[in-house]
Amino acid sequence: MTLTPQVLARGTTFQSSLPCDLKEVRRATTTAAGFLADEGLSKEELTACELALVEACNNAIQYASDEGQMKPVEIAVTCDPAKVELRVSDHTPGFRLPDRMSLPEPDSERGRGLFLIHSLMDQVNYFRSDGKNTLVLHLIRTSQTNRSCRTNRQLDLTQANSRLVESEQTMRNMAKELCFRSESLAAIFRCSAELGHANSMENFSEGLLHDLLDIIFADWFVLRVVRQNGVRLAVLAISEPVMELEPLLISPAPDSIHSVEFKAAISGKDVYFGRDGPMTADDPLSAVIGMDSHGLVLPLFMGEALTGTLTIGKANSLQAPFTATQLQVVRIFADYLAIQIVNAKFQEERITQRLVFHEMEIAKNIQRALLPKSLPALRNFKLAGFCESAREVGGDFYDVLSLSADTLLLIVADVMGKGVPAAMFAAVFAATVRGLVLASPDWARQPSLLLSRVNRQMAGELSDVDMFITAQLVFVDVAKRELVAASAGHCPMLVGTVHKTEVLTVSPEGIPLGILSDATFTDEIIALEKDCRVLLYTDGLTEARDAQGQFFGQERLASLFKQSLASNQTAEELKKHLTRESRRFKSDTMLHDDQAFLILAEESGDVES
Amino acid sequence: MKIKFQKDTLHISEVKELGAASSGSFRDEVRAILPTDLKTIEIDLSQTVFLDSCGLGALVMLYKTACAKNGGIKMRLLNPTPAVQQIFELTRMHLIFEIVRA
Repeated sequence: MTLTPQVLARGTTFQSSLPCDLKEVRRATTTAAGFLADEGLSKEELTACELALVEACNNAIQYASDEGQMKPVEIAVTCDPAKVELRVSDHTPGFRLPDRMSLPEPDSERGRGLFLIHSLMDQVNYFRSDGKNTLVLHLIRTSQTNRSCRTNRQLDLTQANSRLVESEQTMRNMAKELCFRSESLAAIFRCSAELGHANSMENFSEGLLHDLLDIIFADWFVLRVVRQNGVRLAVLAISEPVMELEPLLISPAPDSIHSVEFKAAISGKDVYFGRDGPMTADDPLSAVIGMDSHGLVLPLFMGEALTGTLTIGKANSLQAPFTATQLQVVRIFADYLAIQIVNAKFQEERITQRLVFHEMEIAKNIQRALLPKSLPALRNFKLAGFCESAREVGGDFYDVLSLSADTLLLIVADVMGKGVPAAMFAAVFAATVRGLVLASPDWARQPSLLLSRVNRQMAGELSDVDMFITAQLVFVDVAKRELVAASAGHCPMLVGTVHKTEVLTVSPEGIPLGILSDATFTDEIIALEKDCRVLLYTDGLTEARDAQGQFFGQERLASLFKQSLASNQTAEELKKHLTRESRRFKSDTMLHDDQAFLILAEESGDVES
Repeated sequence: MKIKFQKDTLHISEVKELGAASSGSFRDEVRAILPTDLKTIEIDLSQTVFLDSCGLGALVMLYKTACAKNGGIKMRLLNPTPAVQQIFELTRMHLIFEIVRA
């Protein structure tokens, strides 16, 4: 048994806790009675207090839950000249305090304890909470003068009087309850109206919770919301803006964390804390609200999903715990807040989504503008191109620049990365090449020089964002019947003719653009044989995988190309063939990379098929 | 606690407390020695400084047992202290028990 008498501002308090054992009751209550005797209570008052304490302790022990039997029963006695307050905590499932006490049948051996408490005390309140309940008893002290002449008749009178006080209290409570129920509704309606105008969820919830504090006589609140897909609980609103609280990491859960908010968030259950509750000194909350605070944490749920936590409390341990009705009001507010938080999140997401969609639309337009609207034709030489993005926009593209009646420049490029940034760099690359070729068309005849110039211009920007571009430039001169090819780390191109079976793989040396600003490239000259077929592509084509994870591969592409030569396919037919085969290969898998290819074919028309 | 027989009367005295912890053993002890030819049980409460609802329950149980014995046994409570008397009155048990003041 521990005794910790302490002097407090309002009256004197005596505290004691006893093990959950009937044999310990008398020792504890006798000590408490000793304290009250020192406070100058009359003999009758002493007897009444002691018996009420005994009855309360007996009940707390007899009805303790299995778990509660391990926990002590706590007694707190506060005395001032006007009244005595007795508090007994119990770890029982709790009971409903009857509005009217009646005696059991005369031959019943049980059921007189609560009746005695009611008869002896002027006011009885029972506060139920999670696992721990508190019985709070008040005895109004009589003045010293009429103490000595108290008779049985006066006792009856006192009883009647106390019943009167009791009914008055009941009526006051009812009025108060009615009052704050309508107040809470009004607060919710007011805030709902403000939600339309409030500039943020923070302001809205702060206003609402300040109203809640007034309604239930609480001192402070902390509202946290789940952020970053359930990783953190970040503070959304707090009663004292000067209080600072770090976000709580909830997933993955830290190994050891003493936080009542964390406990509530993880267990999904209300967590009560107080003088002897589960809050420890290393709980981040205790530094902000003080160890003397008591209250509870409610996890906020929307359906199954945790949306946040609401912690609400009183600053001083002497203040009465929340009543059941007050807790009900807190719950109504919490439910309402949970809905509003989710609504606000949805709204925010909708706006973000619209923004992203808008951004994508812009990027898609840029990319579409990049691809040539129509492909030029040189005499019998036909072109066919294909471009597809894994996401709505991508970094693969092809371009054809018509230089003269006999010459053109083929461009295929792949910007490392996907989405909007890749599309942007693809656009910059295409514009740079076009700009250079327009300024001096002769540069197109030496694609290696063109690549090194483009590289010099773009290397800085590319390396700043850790991106690079692979590209293949092929100068086509149908009069001289030759190709001049240069590559910046790009996959090889395939060259063949419908009259032969072998396929030439052309892969000029060169590193991707954006790695070294002074990189050099080499030109490779390839003769254009009669009825040639040239295939430029990006690695999205060869590195596509099927459902089993197999690559499409260079060999498969080469054999498809050979088949196409053998069957004398036109550029358009080869494009369709490749597209079909690539789609069939990937069948039901998602497109992982962007794909682009460009075909040049001489379709002289004098080849027998 | 002291228990003695005088003719057909069982006299119990020096009961200091009748509370949750002690009333069980009090009840069992007294019930165990209730002889069949008993006419009266006298419980001297003059030294009983404390009685709670459990003690009251034990007295009720004893009273019922006494009534049930063949023909019935009278149970008398002697000289209860004011505190104990107050509890009897609060719970209206003073109308049931025979309370005797010497």
